[in-house]
Amino acid sequence: MADPILSLNGVSKSFGPIEVLHGVDFELRPGEIHALIGENGAGKSTTMKILGGYIDASGGEIRWQGQPVSFASSEEAEARGIVMIHQEFNLAEHLGVDQNVFLGRELKRGWRLDHAAMRGRAAALLDQLECHIDPSARVAGLSVPAKQMVEIAKALSRDLRVLIMDEPTAVLTERDCEILFRQIERLREQGVAILYTSHKLSEVKRICDRVSVLRDGVMVRSAKVAEITEDEMAAAMVGRELSDLYPAKAVPADEVMLEVEGLSVPGLIAEASLTLRRGEVLGIGGLVGAGRTELAEAIAGLRPRSGEVRLMGRTLPAGQVKTAMERGLVYLTEDRKGAGLLLDKSLRENLTLPLLHRFGRVLIDRRAEEAALDKAIADFAIRAPDREMPVGNLSGGNQQKLLLAKTLLSEPQVILIDEPTRGIDIGTKQQIYTLIAELAAAGHAIIVISSEMPELIGLASRVLVMHAGRIVGALDGDAVNEGAIVRLAMGLGESNGEAAA
Amino acid sequence: MTKILIATTALVGALAGPLSAETIGVSIPAATHGWAGALNFHAERTIAHLEEVYPDLDFVLATTPDSATQVSDLEDMVATRGIDALVVLPFESEPLTGPIQRIAESGTWVTVVDRGLSVEGIETLYVAGDNDSFGRTAGQYFADTLDDGAKVVVMRGIPSTVDNERVAGFEEAIDGSGIEVLAMDHGNWNRDTAFTLMQDWLSRFPQIDAVWAADDDMAVGALAAIEQAGRTGEMIVVGGAGMKEMVDRIRNGDATVPVNVTYPPSMISTAIEMTAVGVTGAAPMSGEFIIASELITPENAADYYFEDSPY
Amino acid sequence: MTMATTQNNTGRTRGGLNLQVIGPIVALIALVLIGMALNSNFLSYANITNVLARSAFIGIIAVGMTFVITAGGLDLSVGSMAAFVAGLMILVMNQLTTSLGVSLPVILLGIALALVAGLVAGLINGILITRVGIEAFIVTLGTMGIYRSLITWLADGGTLSLGFEMRELYRPVYYGGIAGISWPIIAFVVVAVLGEVVMRHTAFGRHCAAIGSNEKVARYSSIPVARVKLATYVLLGLLVGFAVVMYVPRLGSASASTGLLWELEAIAAVIIGGTLLKGGFGRVWGTVVGVLILSLIGNLLNLTDFVSPYLNGAIQGAVIILAVVLQRKGGTER
Repeated sequence: MADPILSLNGVSKSFGPIEVLHGVDFELRPGEIHALIGENGAGKSTTMKILGGYIDASGGEIRWQGQPVSFASSEEAEARGIVMIHQEFNLAEHLGVDQNVFLGRELKRGWRLDHAAMRGRAAALLDQLECHIDPSARVAGLSVPAKQMVEIAKALSRDLRVLIMDEPTAVLTERDCEILFRQIERLREQGVAILYTSHKLSEVKRICDRVSVLRDGVMVRSAKVAEITEDEMAAAMVGRELSDLYPAKAVPADEVMLEVEGLSVPGLIAEASLTLRRGEVLGIGGLVGAGRTELAEAIAGLRPRSGEVRLMGRTLPAGQVKTAMERGLVYLTEDRKGAGLLLDKSLRENLTLPLLHRFGRVLIDRRAEEAALDKAIADFAIRAPDREMPVGNLSGGNQQKLLLAKTLLSEPQVILIDEPTRGIDIGTKQQIYTLIAELAAAGHAIIVISSEMPELIGLASRVLVMHAGRIVGALDGDAVNEGAIVRLAMGLGESNGEAAA
Repeated sequence: MTKILIATTALVGALAGPLSAETIGVSIPAATHGWAGALNFHAERTIAHLEEVYPDLDFVLATTPDSATQVSDLEDMVATRGIDALVVLPFESEPLTGPIQRIAESGTWVTVVDRGLSVEGIETLYVAGDNDSFGRTAGQYFADTLDDGAKVVVMRGIPSTVDNERVAGFEEAIDGSGIEVLAMDHGNWNRDTAFTLMQDWLSRFPQIDAVWAADDDMAVGALAAIEQAGRTGEMIVVGGAGMKEMVDRIRNGDATVPVNVTYPPSMISTAIEMTAVGVTGAAPMSGEFIIASELITPENAADYYFEDSPY
Repeated sequence: MTMATTQNNTGRTRGGLNLQVIGPIVALIALVLIGMALNSNFLSYANITNVLARSAFIGIIAVGMTFVITAGGLDLSVGSMAAFVAGLMILVMNQLTTSLGVSLPVILLGIALALVAGLVAGLINGILITRVGIEAFIVTLGTMGIYRSLITWLADGGTLSLGFEMRELYRPVYYGGIAGISWPIIAFVVVAVLGEVVMRHTAFGRHCAAIGSNEKVARYSSIPVARVKLATYVLLGLLVGFAVVMYVPRLGSASASTGLLWELEAIAAVIIGGTLLKGGFGRVWGTVVGVLILSLIGNLLNLTDFVSPYLNGAIQGAVIILAVVLQRKGGTER
């Protein structure tokens, strides 16, 4: 086995008075894929950022090829060949793909930029990644997986020694994941040391060589992947045995809560129709970009639409979010950070934002707000070190719980949830699944949009599948299985949509 | 320096004979403050009058907010209107010297008003007020009427050559008179700035005998501050440029505002009329016409009061 | 970058009193101490009254500007708008005097007109920004030029003055007061206190901050984004009208140079006070401190001789930058 190229020895890290890492040991070796897993808030991001030179350690030692080092900045780490790919992309949206790949390290001929060479190199790198985008295209116009590929191309364009990847597959489709895995495999063979984080334990099992588990800032387990099962990994992360992930499904009543007829959004959704009953959890599956989010946003009044939407028998006017909320229909966005929460505001301000008029007539009743937050923290088991902290500093899971609390504050009857567990840890996932089942059992009607097949299958009693802006099929009971969903999502075997249900 | 005050009626009389068709371009700063407003008022009035009396004369009037616009205005006049003569009050001396020189070299008659160019001998005719005399006249009045050891404050305009010349003239005139200048600061030819400045000076100095404001707009602000502080009667205020309200106060024998100093915006009328005469060949016109500042006193105030002027 | 700053914020919220909060107040106290040291008249009743009263116009406008900036907007037109409204008010009052004589109704009508004119001007800005969808910077740059031209045109390039007798009747609104406190100061305090309460304790204030922080989140939280933004511009317009009501009785005149650069002073005061220029966070009391700081600098420079008057602008500029740097240091340690 090769010697470690980059390692942490007893590293700790504090933010203000709060210590988030407690004496962590960790090693990355050339030619090895090392998975770092843990619940959100366990300290994975902090560990990665220390390795990537983005933040300093408060205590302990970082070693590069056995020698103690300290990186003054991420640039210094990059100069040694340590590259980190962030979950939130670090791309200049208005520049071209090639310009992004060589940003800050532009190729030059004399004092002039060598556009042809950069374009050519970028095209070669993208080819390697089996990614067929035009190197001169603007990044802003690319899909999320394509942007991820640009990030990876950017990393590949350097003299790479250590690659740190923060949940790279969270935003990728299955096909893109396969391409990514092949690239990672190739890099391993070239002797690159790779740190890989993911919430998908099956992925870890499949592609990684070694796995380390963080829990509450402590490294609780480190083992060869071959010697540990997925269940053991999950147990190490959560610190207890996980019972069945998905709770029992509620039985829908007959009462129709939501009817959508011939809903169209120009260029995005064509003639979508669906029916949702009291107590039902309806899944919507399909590939990223199939129009699932757009459909939910159109129903909730966030997008202009044509067609008819009836909520509990009454027609809901188009484009009026507030009316929809007042009548009992809400939408929980998939874009937690961009559209869900004000990251620079406190928990309280976020929680009550949609419903301020219920907290006092003219002046806001601060005490009522605090009481609402107390209740939300208790009901949704939100873990926040400080109530006044900006929610941007909360872990993804706690942000998602807060977003749920905020969305459910108006006590809605019909709830559209888009990607309920994107980028959150398995413990929180289970809590959210339980919550969804409880809401349905209590007589709410719920639509769950998800890219994770097990989630759809585990939660929904019925699944609609979308492809290219249309609802192409409905699956019920035993027909809800991975194969059937994928077939429909890929545009194979169109059934009669809602009529079939 | 030639100091000639020209009666406009006499000039227009010289135009009595038949005239050939001529186009005269007039380029002046936009009416962004009171004095420039009056300048526009007089220019428009003179042009309307001349066009009415002499249909063969054609005028192009352009007002300009800055030097760059003025340069383009001049280029347009030459290129599209084919002007035979130009009356110009340069926004700034330096940037306009080159463009005006080129126009003069092409054989066009050039009359420069008030602000001189940085190269001598370009213009055919130069008509200007006398900034040195503007300050000197006020200073001389102080030296003549104030006691030895009197304390004065001085409100200057926007930092510029005009302002420097005025203040230099004032300082020379009071030199040796025993008058003490307590403070001197820029009121920027603005009422509000002058009001605040005067308030603060009144807080700072227990005794002020006279205020010289190098423009009547500032004098208005200073007077309001003095009235607010309840110190009317303790000091006199001398402004400049002959604003209607000020002349009215002098005419009514206001003790706080005993005199004023002229810097007539009507000089533009003189310049346009002289150019019309010169360019049509009705009478020979060239050289420098410097209009000295006059002291407006209660006795002669009625002559300086123009009811319909905006200033 | 995002990580580093957000993490540091944790420290800020725990610190309680820190530079970000007390920075502007420290600067204000420092200026007062310097003033006391330099001139014994500095703390005199007359000087304090002068400084506070002259701060009132820009102060009242800056309170409105705080809401606009907090909601992620900007208004460059307020100075020109004030000049235009003042000109309009004087013209109409002079007209009314001929029919109604020198009487209280003329003043009341003039005040009503100023408020309505300000409100309409704000509404025009707001509609162009929120309904037509043009950048706030461009819209208000445009209306800034338009109002400035209109006042020049109304005044024929000169000065519009209120009739002498009318001026005497209206004069006490600026120079008078109760219990030795002049009206402009009272008006400023009332506007500031109301502004602080609205910003901090009402849904409108919270909505402004939410929109400035992330407009998309606000929209997804069923906040009527366009209506709230429109309301900030209307409120600002109304306050410009109110400031004019206080301004006109001071000198009884308006000209093309009235309100020159007020927009920049108001914006500077807002930023010195700790409101974020990009929106998302605003505090009205900070704006009040900012206005006072700017006024005091001018006052101190007039009361002393130790700086050449040519350098007044440089001193103001340096203090503005320093005040903002102090806050940065307190907020994030970079």
